[in-house]
Amino acid sequence: MANDPIHQFQIQKLFPIEVGGMDFSFTNSSLFMVATVAAASAFLIFSTSGRGLVPTRMQSVSEMAYEFVAGMLRDAAGSEGMRFFPMVFSLFMFVLVANLFGMFPYFFTVTSHIIVTFALAMLVILTVVFYGFMRHGMGFLKLFVPDGVPAALIPLVTMIEVISFLSRPISLSVRLFANMLAGHITLKVFSGFVVSLSTLGAVGIFGAILPLGMTVALTALEFLVAFLQAYVFTVLTCMYLNDAIHPSH
Amino acid sequence: MEAEAAKYIGAGIACLGMGGAGIGLGQIFGNYLAGALRNPSAADGQFGRLIFGFAVTEALGIFSLLVALMLLFVV
Amino acid sequence: MNSSSPDQKDDNSAANPPEAGLSGRRDQLNRTLNERKQEEAAVSRRSTGSATGYAQAVKMSSEFIAGIVVGAGMGWLLDEWLGTSPFGLIVFLLLGFVAGVLNVLRAAGQIAEPGARPPKQDDRSD
Repeated sequence: MANDPIHQFQIQKLFPIEVGGMDFSFTNSSLFMVATVAAASAFLIFSTSGRGLVPTRMQSVSEMAYEFVAGMLRDAAGSEGMRFFPMVFSLFMFVLVANLFGMFPYFFTVTSHIIVTFALAMLVILTVVFYGFMRHGMGFLKLFVPDGVPAALIPLVTMIEVISFLSRPISLSVRLFANMLAGHITLKVFSGFVVSLSTLGAVGIFGAILPLGMTVALTALEFLVAFLQAYVFTVLTCMYLNDAIHPSH
Repeated sequence: MEAEAAKYIGAGIACLGMGGAGIGLGQIFGNYLAGALRNPSAADGQFGRLIFGFAVTEALGIFSLLVALMLLFVV
Repeated sequence: MNSSSPDQKDDNSAANPPEAGLSGRRDQLNRTLNERKQEEAAVSRRSTGSATGYAQAVKMSSEFIAGIVVGAGMGWLLDEWLGTSPFGLIVFLLLGFVAGVLNVLRAAGQIAEPGARPPKQDDRSD
């Protein structure tokens, strides 16, 4: 059915590959991930290849992206956090370009699948955990014991803090996933109204103007959400990295 | 009736309790918003109490979620 | 270049060494520039802070639900592992609920982050 709002999220196998009973097929999701990485890298490489002292338009866009992420990371995690800059910048560009790619008609939105966003969030959290233990040893566990808590309450509070810490990758991934999924479904539903109303004759075509305007407005909102969610994802990544660098303050 | 079917029906009925929590949360946030619009300067100071009320009310909803989960996975 | 001098005082002091007037003018320019920068920063912060109430709502509810889901999951796994059914689920679901409320309070900026430096608190309103 052409108006099915879920159809756009279906995974299709393009090249079935099976290794040892496991499914490693190259799907449309993988295709768009490759396209996302290729587009982001190509943009950054070509825009900065001139290395002009006075930047061209493209070069200033990539410089702005660099400054934006670098400022965010420095604010949240201090100058020590800059060692994570390559990771944070790659995450930001990947999520941003994947979100924006999803805005093209007939394109697949990679970030509307929870397994993708969850993998990204787990990457962040595992980096935090590994780096925290590598850097501070057992001192990293101080993150879970807040200052000024009565001794009797420490086990309870620590348990709550542990659960709160473990819920971070889930809330991080669910937020990105839910925003993209809900936005694209809404867009599809409203544009489906346009099609089904305009088949109803003259009155229907007149009535279809309303959902059409709504679709245009929603498209603008979706571009905002695509950027905002990439921003939020990156900001939270920076804050979690700050926990790994300075576990107790 | 099979015990399996009764379990699922019971879980569904237990979830109705969360509707009650939803009504309560609507009351709390609605009244907070009404009060905050009357006296916006006092609103920020009462945010902690808003969350306290939210937590206590939502806890009752969580109990019914707990009953539903227990019916589904434990019993 | 006195074409856009902000006040006439600089012209009166032109008899003195010109550096005094120039540096005074530069200070004033710096001051106005700083003020404008702060205004712009405040405006941009406000606009990202309340860009969409919808994004805020999704953020809060995902924080809350994530706490509950993780608590219930941990309790269920412990039950499977230690055979303490159903007490693990009960205790950890409630703990997860508390952690969810804590997450919401943190997301709303009411309580500091565990690793937060106190003066940085105004930066947390992402």
